[in-house]
Amino acid sequence: MNIRPALPPLGLALCLALGLYAGPAAAQAASAKGAAAAAHELAGESVYHLQAGLVDQHGQPLQWADLRGRPQLVSMFYANCHLMCPLILENAKALQKQLPEAERGRLGVAMITLDPARDTPEAMAEVARNHRSPADWRYLVPANDDVRALASVLDVRYRFREDGSINHTSVLVLLDAEGRPLARSEVKGAAPDPAFLAQVRAALAAAD
Amino acid sequence: MERKPLPLLAPAIAAVLAIGPALAGAAGPAAGARDPSIAWQAIPGGQFRSAVRFEEATATLPVASFQLMARPVTNAQFAAFLQRQPQWRRDRVPAVFSSPGYLGHWATPEEPGARLDPDAPVVHVNWYAADAFCREQGARLPDFIEWEYAAAADATRADARGDRQWRLRQVNDGTPNAPDAAPDAAPNVYGVHGLHGAYWEWTGDFSSLLGQGDRRGQDDGDALQFCGGSALAFNDAADYGVVKRFVLLSALQPGATLGNLGFRCARSQP
Repeated sequence: MNIRPALPPLGLALCLALGLYAGPAAAQAASAKGAAAAAHELAGESVYHLQAGLVDQHGQPLQWADLRGRPQLVSMFYANCHLMCPLILENAKALQKQLPEAERGRLGVAMITLDPARDTPEAMAEVARNHRSPADWRYLVPANDDVRALASVLDVRYRFREDGSINHTSVLVLLDAEGRPLARSEVKGAAPDPAFLAQVRAALAAAD
Repeated sequence: MERKPLPLLAPAIAAVLAIGPALAGAAGPAAGARDPSIAWQAIPGGQFRSAVRFEEATATLPVASFQLMARPVTNAQFAAFLQRQPQWRRDRVPAVFSSPGYLGHWATPEEPGARLDPDAPVVHVNWYAADAFCREQGARLPDFIEWEYAAAADATRADARGDRQWRLRQVNDGTPNAPDAAPDAAPNVYGVHGLHGAYWEWTGDFSSLLGQGDRRGQDDGDALQFCGGSALAFNDAADYGVVKRFVLLSALQPGATLGNLGFRCARSQP
């Protein structure tokens, strides 16, 4: 038998759906509660649940979840972007510089390209050189079909334009050591947002 | 339509999910088996005037040749996917990808059950799960313009949009009265079924469709977050089916599920 979708307006249909389906989910939650103490499981809200392989600017392959373990500053950009993307990199650099020296090395920084077709690891290495970014920054090239999923968990929106440029959200996302998004900073210039800097410092303190 | 998990339910789900097998260390998408029941159809590319006016200066945009699944992903195909990648079961999916309604209409976390047609399109799947299914198949979700390009065809014409009567019937897209809603409805000229069916379909770029539902002008909105972002308009607001679909998709969050929203996958030409 083929169950056809409900026809009332979408909002109503969804309310019905939510009402109906809360039951089983809640029951499962209750029955599972006892076993939930398992220790080193990845937090449910972690973006590292996403399975995606990447290659860094040195040509080394890694898994997205390999970033787990320390707070990370993550952004998405592309090399052939001359307006906003340099600002993203400079903003992140300046933010890191404003951290006390002891804290600096404890923050991972990962810049992920939106354009893996053109941004090879070599191109990423060139961006790293041109911007004189710290040696431990990661410039990451995802597999073509993984870009949308990475952008989704980071809430980065983008659209390729016909001329090869990409409209995209310019944002720094702060992840805790487990990969839970803690804060985001829309990049509007090279100067970091003081409130966001404070959030980064709090994340580093919490990761002690 | 839902935008966020219900506050009361979310922690409960998170608790369930925390005990699921760790996903990150599990085998990557490449390890998944390709589903031999999926039929692909070639869509030759061409210049296309979308009903949607994107940010481009010209209304006509190139669409590269691609392949599209002949039919939407079915309940049976999605159940087989869950066998291969059980981390996407509704009782195991991590909170970051979960939503209250996700596969909630299925009889069990593994099976749609006897009440559902195994060959009907799977619905109540969120974008993350749809995207994961396609990536496992070495594929991706289609872009909106690819969907629209393929859906501009009827049974005999690659671009039937000049036929006003044909277009008018698309007002019923997403309902049981849709032109392609019947399971035995004829395929379009590419051999693709159900593009104007009873179900909406996710696109890969749904979140970047900068329509009425985008965030600019809302609480966290700011036009400057998009370089070169500009207002969206329609080239052809009378293309009702397409406009309706566009507005719906652009208003969704990736965790959203609907009882009439499914998906199919696309592949770029090698």
